[in-house]
Amino acid sequence: MNDMENVLESIGVTKNYAGKAAVDNVSLKLETGLVYAMLGPNGSGKTTWMKMVAGLVKPGKGEILYKGKAIGKESKKEIAYMSTEPYFYSWMTVADVGRYYQDFFEDFSMEKYHQMLKRMELTEELKTKKLSTGMMAKLKIAVTMARNAKLYLLDEPLNGIDLLARDEIMKSILEVIDPDVTLVISSHLVDELERVADAAIFMKEGKMVRQCMVEELRSSEKKSVVDLYREIYGHGGEELC
Amino acid sequence: MLKLMKYEFRKSASSKLILLVLTAVFELAFLGGVFFKGYNLMGTGMMFLILCAFFGVFYIGLEGIMTLYRDLNSKQSYMLFLTPKSSYEILGAKILENGISILMAGAFFIVLAVFDLTVATLCIGGAKELMDSIRQIMDIRLNIKIVSDAVILSVFASLVSWISIVVIADMAVILSASVLAGKKGSGIAAFALFLILSWLFSQMLNLVPAFDNMNLTMILEIAVSLVLSVIFYFISGWIMEKKLSV
Repeated sequence: MNDMENVLESIGVTKNYAGKAAVDNVSLKLETGLVYAMLGPNGSGKTTWMKMVAGLVKPGKGEILYKGKAIGKESKKEIAYMSTEPYFYSWMTVADVGRYYQDFFEDFSMEKYHQMLKRMELTEELKTKKLSTGMMAKLKIAVTMARNAKLYLLDEPLNGIDLLARDEIMKSILEVIDPDVTLVISSHLVDELERVADAAIFMKEGKMVRQCMVEELRSSEKKSVVDLYREIYGHGGEELC
Repeated sequence: MLKLMKYEFRKSASSKLILLVLTAVFELAFLGGVFFKGYNLMGTGMMFLILCAFFGVFYIGLEGIMTLYRDLNSKQSYMLFLTPKSSYEILGAKILENGISILMAGAFFIVLAVFDLTVATLCIGGAKELMDSIRQIMDIRLNIKIVSDAVILSVFASLVSWISIVVIADMAVILSASVLAGKKGSGIAAFALFLILSWLFSQMLNLVPAFDNMNLTMILEIAVSLVLSVIFYFISGWIMEKKLSV
């Protein structure tokens, strides 16, 4: 992995909340064109780390570089973040959400948004405050994936989505795969991610405990991501940290 | 910046519309009273129009502060901070939209008052005599002359002072959100910070020398208030840019 291929670099990044480290000295590099599965239980620091990359949370220590530059106005033009929580203004309709993204993101495609809405069975006149959890999750995915971003950070994109819709959603997400595009997806559904991920990042208690290529893991250690997940977070996981 | 301002306006559009509708209702009552010589109706309309003017301008500023508080202490903050805009632009759009709304509302109510006074004078004639009497009483008893430019300057000074208070309150909200990050008590902390910052602001404003010419003093105070507001804005923007996590 040389520096030219790294789209993102997290260097000793730490974030404390009330004296407790939510993210603790995390150093990692993301290579352009890969799909990363970010794994770990609740409270392991995945969301906080993603929010720092998205520019929503400021690191206490360390720095995050996107294409060699600090996170800020320029990186936000190319990074699309989908949070777990709903965040749209309560007065907005589904159409308003699209217009808002079009107003602020040059890489947003209204045509793609309409296609995504159709696929997700969402209509434009729906009020965001009246959407069910599943519908809200679909809307967040639709508006995020309608951007032609260079780095996508999807925090638990399958949360609240029923089993039948999951495949369709994963298909929509993976459609953006391109040699120029990097995806980071966090999920509890490890086996679901294993099928699509090129690399895996394991987080535990704010620390990054392992980063590996999925194929290398299979060939050299004869393990699947699910096996490694069980090893880290199940019995004996403490020894790895 | 204009797009940010457009959405800031949208956030407060409902309450502005309510204010406009209420004003229209009381204006109709006032004009109905004037045209049909219903003095009770005219008086009631006038009283509520004055209330609309004072509380309307006050509420527009207050709503700007409340919107900022909500934007920094809830998940809807992502709508602002995910966009490729700097904190200076985000805060600047809020303050500008709010400041323009306050000034526009102030100007609107002044124009409406002038219009209503003119209509009343033309229709019933009594208003002019009333104003003349007030003018005479003040001339005789208090030796004060009602000079139109002084009145306009006072109104403008009040509006600028209200905008300054909004900027100070914004800074208090930003400081509280940066330190407490939406935790319990952040509202109380913001209020305490607002009191401290207001005191600091007034201390700086007290350094303006008083001249014999009241108008000159007032102009200088307005200028200093605006400069201090700009300084407070830049400090708030810096805190947001460097320290605020949402």
